[in-house]
This record gives sequence, structure tokens and C-alpha cells, in this order.
Amino acid sequence: MRNTSAPRRSALWKIYGKMFTEPLRVIVRDPLALAGLVILTFIVLVALFAPWIAPYDPDEMHRKVEGVLFRLSDGEARRLAAEWPFPLNAVTMRGDEIIAVGGGGRIVRFEGGRWVEEATSTESELFAVASGERTYAAGDGVILRKDEGEWRSDLVREGTAFKGLSLAGNSGLAVGEDGAVLKLSASGAWEEVPHRERGKMASASLANENLGFIVGERGMLLRYERGSLRREMVRAFRDLNDVHAYTPDFALAVGARGTILHFDGTRWREMFGPETRDLRAVRIVNEKLAFAVGPFGVVLKYDGTNWTSVETGYRRNFRGLGSADGAVLAVGSDPFINELSPPTRDHLFGTTHLGRDIFTQTVYGSRTALLVAILASLVVSFIGVNVGLVAGYFRGKTDDILMRIVDIMYALPFEPFAMILVLIFNPSIWIVILAVGLLTWRTNARVVRSQVLSIARRPFVKAARAAGASDFRIMFVHIAPNILPLVFLQLAVAAGFAITAEATLSFLGLGPPRMHSWGTILHAARLSGAWRTAWWWIIPPGALIMLTVVSIFFIARALEVLSNPRLKNER
Amino acid sequence: MNRKTYLLSRFLQLAATFLVILTMLFFLFRLALPDPTTALVVEGLSSEEQQLVRERFGLHLPLWQQYFIYLKNSVFLGEFGTSFHYKAPVAPIVFDKFLNTMILMVVAILISYTIGPALGVLLTWKRGGKLEIGGIVTGLVFRSAPMFWTGMLAVMFFGVYLRWFPTSGMRTLPFDSSGFLDTITTLDFLHHLVLPALVVSLYYMGLPMLIMRNTMLEIMGEDFIELCRAKGLKERVVMYRHAARNALLPVVTQAAITIGLAVGGQVVVEVVFSWPGLGREMLQAVRTSDYPMAQAAFMLMAFMVLAMNFVADVLYGVLDPRVSLPREGR
Repeated sequence: MRNTSAPRRSALWKIYGKMFTEPLRVIVRDPLALAGLVILTFIVLVALFAPWIAPYDPDEMHRKVEGVLFRLSDGEARRLAAEWPFPLNAVTMRGDEIIAVGGGGRIVRFEGGRWVEEATSTESELFAVASGERTYAAGDGVILRKDEGEWRSDLVREGTAFKGLSLAGNSGLAVGEDGAVLKLSASGAWEEVPHRERGKMASASLANENLGFIVGERGMLLRYERGSLRREMVRAFRDLNDVHAYTPDFALAVGARGTILHFDGTRWREMFGPETRDLRAVRIVNEKLAFAVGPFGVVLKYDGTNWTSVETGYRRNFRGLGSADGAVLAVGSDPFINELSPPTRDHLFGTTHLGRDIFTQTVYGSRTALLVAILASLVVSFIGVNVGLVAGYFRGKTDDILMRIVDIMYALPFEPFAMILVLIFNPSIWIVILAVGLLTWRTNARVVRSQVLSIARRPFVKAARAAGASDFRIMFVHIAPNILPLVFLQLAVAAGFAITAEATLSFLGLGPPRMHSWGTILHAARLSGAWRTAWWWIIPPGALIMLTVVSIFFIARALEVLSNPRLKNER
Repeated sequence: MNRKTYLLSRFLQLAATFLVILTMLFFLFRLALPDPTTALVVEGLSSEEQQLVRERFGLHLPLWQQYFIYLKNSVFLGEFGTSFHYKAPVAPIVFDKFLNTMILMVVAILISYTIGPALGVLLTWKRGGKLEIGGIVTGLVFRSAPMFWTGMLAVMFFGVYLRWFPTSGMRTLPFDSSGFLDTITTLDFLHHLVLPALVVSLYYMGLPMLIMRNTMLEIMGEDFIELCRAKGLKERVVMYRHAARNALLPVVTQAAITIGLAVGGQVVVEVVFSWPGLGREMLQAVRTSDYPMAQAAFMLMAFMVLAMNFVADVLYGVLDPRVSLPREGR
């Protein structure tokens, strides 16, 4: 430490450098304090680099898409697949192979209990899939065909969203939302079916190579027979979403507001089901069994005469049905808010009831905590040290008055006082700092005062006074450096208190609005009502408050030795 | 200064401090509400009734006269106005809630100030061992864990997961009770009390434990302890009967101060456990801008802090004849 070439600097370093090295040395020597310092450093780093550490925006509502596959049969509704992270629009079964299509041109094969993606040449959304001799998929501007295990573009038609697709033997039918109707000829080419219908078409179904039905918006129901279209007489006026022709004598169509239409070979007739919500898809298994599905997990069963609801325990949207032997397959799911998700790889601490990432919120919360801790403890120390210095130095009347003020401050309970401040002003980060500042300096002032009282009697102070130093100079140049260890200690204690105080006020909903703090996270959890079970939402912010404050306690405990050397022997 | 004049001067100081706080509140609320009528007159009153209220609080008089009427009303008449929320006089409501808070806090503080000091003695006894460090760390950890958090964890684990205890309120609803005593002298009440009392007492336990340990460390160096040991007394007897008894004083006075602070200080516990106490009432008053209620609740809280500090002073003098008056301390 000694530097002979610069004696003056070395002397200064001896005095002021010690102020920093000594506390550090004390902390490093005490294992608890060292642990505290490490934790605190970590939290400070997290706060500084929050935007880089946090993977998301703290207010972002995360959506989640989950493809789902159900097998619906007479006796049961069973969920088959594990999650597939994209929505599935339609499904078909050919032999043992289950194939589903969905967003982003994705075609997936269900194999061994999980989804396997198949390579495609398109990125358009696919709406329909059907299998006859071959398997076809249709979507936004494209129809794909599976040839020898490979998907190829069979038709590209910009601007037409193919919503419906049906195959029967060598024949096939595809309808577009824009009203395009294409038939698959025996040669394997798609040919336009001329017609004069207007309106969006939603689905098509062939009962055999020559007969089929097409449905669309506002009750559109068309009969396709040997290459031509004819309007069916039907009294439906709501949008129809799907149709399934089982035989030329039995077909079902479903649509908006629980509409169900039944075809008995001669005419269409409206049926009454137990559901008033939309139905998206319908599929017939045999004369005595059919299913219809819709959004919000709606599943209806038809037993040949009546429709009844089937409970699946699943609340998300079903989009499509496909035939399987003796049963139907249901696929679906729209993107939904990923609410109250327990910790996953994407969300380390899970999500809130609004789908917000708790890890991100916790990381940003450290900023608020440290900001309040630093500002509030500076305010507290500034007031406390000055009051203590003045009271202890001047004594007498000044001391009396100042200490009476301190007594009054001691009578103010913290939370209620802060609440009054919030009632009168508006909640903000400054109210929190003001409350902590106004109410915590009392302890600092008392402790500093008693130290100053004893220092002011020491010979060097008398010497300074005899040398003609002003009161101001004696207080701040001669006495103040001697109480610095104590001030650091009080600073640490005040910082710990400020963090708890901010968390408490935020938890009560009185904290700074639109700021992320550990208390706010817990406040939101309590408001949502989910806190009684969502442990992942509760544990991280509270644990961080505890870790931060206890680290400060550990460090303060070690620093106490500096300001009160008597303790050294006791520890 | 003999004891009587000392206590008298402390009492006068208490009164003066309370007066200052009342004054501060008066001006704070006037600052917030330039038209005090809104703070004291319930909406929906007829204009004659409004006039009556105005006269009772002297709202037509100059500010300084209003101030004295306010002092007279709140100190001597116990008249705090009418709650906006309940449309009823504030005082009886505040008193009810105060009792609810007190029963919870007194039980919790009794528990922590019985177990805490005993643990403190144990820590001194097993000095230098793992037990001591463990005890200190545990004490500090419980003191740093915010009570609303430990409360939430307790609700989640003991209430919702294990279903051992009810998690909200003082009684299972609906219940009939003719009064406070009737409410609390039931098993159902005790069942409701367990979780909040546990959470509060865990938080409070660290302080008496650490205070006890510090005082014990000082006392262990004194001659009479050496003498006890020389007499051949067992270490347990020396610790718990001789040393601990002399180290209890700071703990007892701290207990009194803690009770005073607890009346207003533990809003969060009442919120987490939906305990119908004063703190929760005050929070609701702040949320609904129920000024008379907030004002009265705060006055009572501040008064309790002062009163219990005074009690601590009295206890200090009574319990330790050696004490030199006036003392210096927190």
C-alpha cells in the first residue's frame, strides 16, 4: 500500500481508501456477509441488464397454439395426441395413416402417439384434407397431392382459398371460398364446374362419384350431380360450415348458431340440437352414429334420432372431423392466451392469468426494487445524518427540538401513513420514496446523534474549534468522516427497509402504477384470485424480496463491527 | 428526576405529540380537500341535513375555529364523522375493527415473545456452534420475508393444498354472534386464527430472539453469572433462571412497542387472510376515498403507538429499579 514516490497521495489513500477497503475486508471475512454480497451483486447485475436477460416484453400477452386430436366413438371421447404447437384444421384417415393439416402449410402424420411433420412445398394455410385412392390437401391457393410418400402441388390458383375437399373413388370435388368449384376428372386433372351461384362456399362432400353437396354462407346448400350444380330447397338462412354425405340417402350439414340440417334422400329438414353455439364440422359414422363439433369444446352426438352433448373436458376450439373406422377423429384449437401456465421451457416461471411471462416481470421488478432502495436510502441518510449531526453538535435547545420531532415521527406507523399519502396524493414511485424518506430517518438521526455527542467531546474537535474552524467546517470536515461507517450501515438498513416498503405498498395496490415490481406481481396474483393455487406466480417475486433484504441484513450485520468495535469480541 | 415526575413528563410529551399528529392530519386533509364539506358530508343527504352536519363540524366558520372544533370532536367527543362507505358513524365501526386486529396481534405477539426469547437463550447457550448461525440466519430470513408473501404461501400450502385450516375471515360464514366476545369464544374462531397468527408470530419472532441473544451476551460477562457457576449450578439453571431473567427487560419493553405498532402496521396480513381488522378497513377507506374513516383509523393507530411506547417506559421503570431515568434508546 505504501507508495514512496507519491507520499501525499499515499497518505490520502490511507485515510479515504480505508473507508472503502475496510468495509469490504470485513464483509469478505464474514461468510454470511460474503454470501449476501454475492447475491446482491447478482441482483444488481440482473437489474442493470434486465432488457437483455428478460426474454419478452413484461406486458406481452403470450398466446399459445395447441393442436389437438380426439377420437370420438359411441362410448367415449378420447384425447389422442400430445401437443402439436400449431392449429390443425382438418384430418383424414387412410388405412392406418392419420393425416392432419393446418397453418403454415404444415401437414402432420400421427404416428406412435405423436405428430411427425411431413415435407411440403407450400407455406399457405391448409383447410382441408381428404383421402380416396390418393390423399389430397387443399388450402390457400393450392391443392396438394401425395404421391409415393411425397407431397406435390397438384394445382395452384392464386386468390382462391380452397375450404372444402371431398373424394369418392376416382372422382373429387374442391370448393373455394370465392365460389370456385372444381371437380377431379378421371384423368386426374381439376376442371372448373360452371355455375351461377354467388356467396362464399365452406365445404363439399361426395356421397359417391356422381352425387355430392356443397354448403356455404347464408344457408347456401347446393346439390352436385354429374357435373352440374342445383340449389336445394331448404329453409336455412344461417351460414353453413360443413356437410357430410354418407350415402345418397343420408347427409348432414351444420352451421352457425347450432344449425343442423338432415337429408333423408329426398329433402333437407332442420333438426334441433342441444347447442346454440356454432358448429364447425360434422361427420357420419353410420346410420345410427354421427358427430358434430364446434368452438369451446362443443361435441354433439347423433344416435339416429336425437342429438346429445358429449363432455370432453376440453374447452378450446374444434375445427375439423375426419372418418375413421367405427369412429371419427376431431382436430382443432385456435391460438389461445397461454394463461396460468406452470413453468415451461418458454416461460421459466410460468405465466399470469393474462398470459404474461412471470420471469420477465420478475427480472424487471428488480429494477424498481433497487431504484427505490437507492433513492429512498439516500433521502433517509441525507435527512438523518444532517439532523443527527446538528442535534448532536449544537446540543441544548436545538437538540431538544429536533429530538421531539423525531419522537413525533416515531408515532407514525409506516403503512397507514403511506396510505394517507396515497389517499391525498396519487400513487407513484415518488410517494413510496417520500413515505420511506419521511418515516425512516428518525432512527438514523438518533443513532448518528448519539455518536456525534461522544465525538464532539474528543480533543481533536476542541483543537479544531481553538484553531478557529467554523461550526460548519467542524461538523462536516472533522466529525462527519468519523461517523461514515455508521452512515454506511444505516444506508444498508434503510435500503432493505425501502425494498420491503415498496413491495408492501405495491402489494396493497398503492404502489407506482404501470411499473413492474415484485410487489405488483403479487398484487396482480391476489387480484386475479389465482394465487391460491398458482405457486409459480407467488414464489419467485417473494423469494427475491426475501433474498435481497436478507443479503442486506447479512452485510449490515458485518458492517456493525466497523461502527461499533465493541462487537468484535462478541462475534 | 424521580419516577413520578419522569412519567408525568413522558405523559405530557405523549399528549403533545398526539396533538401535533392531529394537527398534521387536519392540515393534510385540508390540503387534499380544499372543500371539507365533501369530506364530512355524506352524499345523498337532504340540504337541511347537510346544513346540520356543517354546523356540527363548524364548516361555515374560519379555518382556525374549524381546527379547534375538530380537536374537540376527535379528542373529547369521539366524533369522527360519518363514513361515506357505511353511511354510519365512524367511531363504533373503527372500534369493532380495532378489537378484531388486537385479538390477532396480541395472540401472535404473545406467541412470538414467548418462544423468541427462549430461542435467544438457546442461541447464547450453544454459542459458536452451527445452531447459533442457523438460528440467526433463520431469524433474519423470517424478518426479511414479507409477511404478505409468507401469508400467501401459508394459505396455499396449509389452506388450499392440505385443507387443514380455513384461509379467510374470523368465522365460517354465515354466523350469528351477539358481540365480540361471543365471536371469539368459539373453536371455529380459533381454527380461523391459526394461520394468520402463525404467519405474524413467525415474522415477529426474530426480533425478540436477537434482542435476547444480545442482552444475554452482555449479561454472561457479569460477575453474578460466574458466582452461579462457581456454586455448581447446572448450566441450564444458570441460563434460564439467572441470566435470562435479567435479560428479559428489553424484550418486554419491545413487546409493548411492537403491540403498538402492530395495530396499524400489519395491513398486509389482514388483507391476505381477509381478516376484518382496522388495517384492512383503512385500506378500503383509502381505495374508496372514505376520508372520515381513514382519518379516524389513522388517529387510533398513531395513538396506539404512542400509548404503547408510554407503557414500555412505565414497564421499564417498574421492572428494573436500577434504571437511570431518563433513558436513551430507540
